[in-house]
Amino acid sequence: MSENEPPDPLAGLGERLAKARRQIEQQRPAEGGAAPQGLAGLGFRIGIELVASLAVGVALGWVVDRLAHTRPWGIVAGFVLGAAAGLLNVMRAVGGGLPGGPPQRRNRDGNGR
Amino acid sequence: MTVKGGPLAQFEIERLVPIHIGGYDISYTNAALLMTIAVALIALLLLGTTRRAALVPTRLQSMAELSYEFVAGMVNENVGHGGEEFFPLVFSIFMFILLGNLLGLIPFGYAFTSQVIVTTALALSVFLLATIVAFWKHGIRFATFFFPPGAPVILAPILVPIELISYLSRPVSLSLRLFANMMAGHTVMAVFAGFTAVLGIFGFLPIAVTAAVFALEIVIAVLQAYVFAILTCLYLHDSIHMH
Repeated sequence: MSENEPPDPLAGLGERLAKARRQIEQQRPAEGGAAPQGLAGLGFRIGIELVASLAVGVALGWVVDRLAHTRPWGIVAGFVLGAAAGLLNVMRAVGGGLPGGPPQRRNRDGNGR
Repeated sequence: MTVKGGPLAQFEIERLVPIHIGGYDISYTNAALLMTIAVALIALLLLGTTRRAALVPTRLQSMAELSYEFVAGMVNENVGHGGEEFFPLVFSIFMFILLGNLLGLIPFGYAFTSQVIVTTALALSVFLLATIVAFWKHGIRFATFFFPPGAPVILAPILVPIELISYLSRPVSLSLRLFANMMAGHTVMAVFAGFTAVLGIFGFLPIAVTAAVFALEIVIAVLQAYVFAILTCLYLHDSIHMH
């Protein structure tokens, strides 16, 4: 072993370069997608998505009630639909997507953005 | 009104130059002052370094170039074809929020991004722009965005409202995320710093925690500016390409 001449430092350089480039290529989508926030950040984001959709749903229901005098059914429906939208947003945020949904759609939202 | 010296007192808006016009209070406040400083700093950084741009950049010039290239790459990657015209908008939003977050970490600074009205105004402008662009590019066909392709038509009465609410919740979650992150971080820091005087000889413990939280806050400040900008890109992408 020790008699062997030292390995040529440039040997396999092209290979190593190609490997490094491939690694960068692989990293890019993840980098552009899920922000490196860790689990606390993920939890924070899920909570905000849930609350935001629910608030929008209830607000829409309230407006419908005001306009159509259907109290309280607008708010009830808005609450349910808002909760559903919130869950949908959370599923998209964590990369689940709609079960059976179109793949390109799932990919777009699936990166946790 | 908040408790004086309490952890929430830092978010108090002070009127530096009271201005009242037609019953509206449009006073120049400490938040507005920090916004002015942020815009001035951005302009100084970008204009000052590119006016006499050197081939071998100085530190400041490379900072300006790095931020430019970072946002340009983000727009290219996430908005895709047809997104170049939105680069100035995304860049301005990114720099404005970044400076706002970072200036809030400097003593006597004020994180204007911790005011929900500021983040709401930013998020609503982005949302309205994205919606207008969508109708501009696709016309009424944009309405099909609210029905997932391939779903049974009979489910439309349920799916369309859900998708609509999901779409309308974008500006809410966009503004809430930035505001809540900034406010929570600053409050946590103030709470821990407040323990220092009470604990006497053990006061070094909360100081250590505050230092750690401060480091985390710097990360969050940059990250939230990035998240806001990238979500702006994605919403514009949806408007231009519809899926």
